[in-house]
Amino acid sequence: MSFVTAARLDPAALCRAVSSPKHGALASFVGTVRSVHAGRRVKAVSYDCFVPLAEKELARIKAAAEKRWPARVAVAHRTGRLKVGEASVAIAAGSGHRAEAFEACRFVIEEIKRRVPVWKKEHYLKGDGRWLAGCALHRRRP
Amino acid sequence: MKRKIELYGRLRDAGFGAAVSVDVPQNATARQALSVLKSAFGEKASLLQGCALATGEEVLAAGDTLPSGRLALLPPVCGG
Repeated sequence: MSFVTAARLDPAALCRAVSSPKHGALASFVGTVRSVHAGRRVKAVSYDCFVPLAEKELARIKAAAEKRWPARVAVAHRTGRLKVGEASVAIAAGSGHRAEAFEACRFVIEEIKRRVPVWKKEHYLKGDGRWLAGCALHRRRP
Repeated sequence: MKRKIELYGRLRDAGFGAAVSVDVPQNATARQALSVLKSAFGEKASLLQGCALATGEEVLAAGDTLPSGRLALLPPVCGG
């Protein structure tokens, strides 16, 4: 399964992938491109990605979440140039109860921000653009 | 030996395109390769602050020997 895609994300498909009759909870998180950031009017955001490592890290994050909580987790991250309102990341977690579904979703998005090799360049209405600051990567080995 | 290093994020706008080719010693460590890259970037070396070298499998520690295969120079990340 591929976690990184240049195609439009389908959060409903992720929800279906983790749902089960045994589950009483289904939580999802969708990150979208906002129209204003730090006082600047944004028209689009470009997502750059080192795909092979991003695929590995997203698989590791999903596995870590499913090990930590009794939940099924699905995640997808978009690449390319996205307009305001388009989804850049989608996460779904299905579980027996709401607490673990919410916690698993939160865990996945926070880990993505810390360790998945993706970079955002905002494009402003005035025509200029800027790469956003982020978290430095470090080796992670068991 | 010549190694191709892929560039991502803010490094793509440094004027080198999508990758740079640098001469590194045989069995060079990531630390040594970063030092070579700083020289190659010249006046734009400040762009390398917070950057890490990585393969398609993992981020390299400073003392790791450069493995064969794809190598990428990765700025601080901000996905999501």
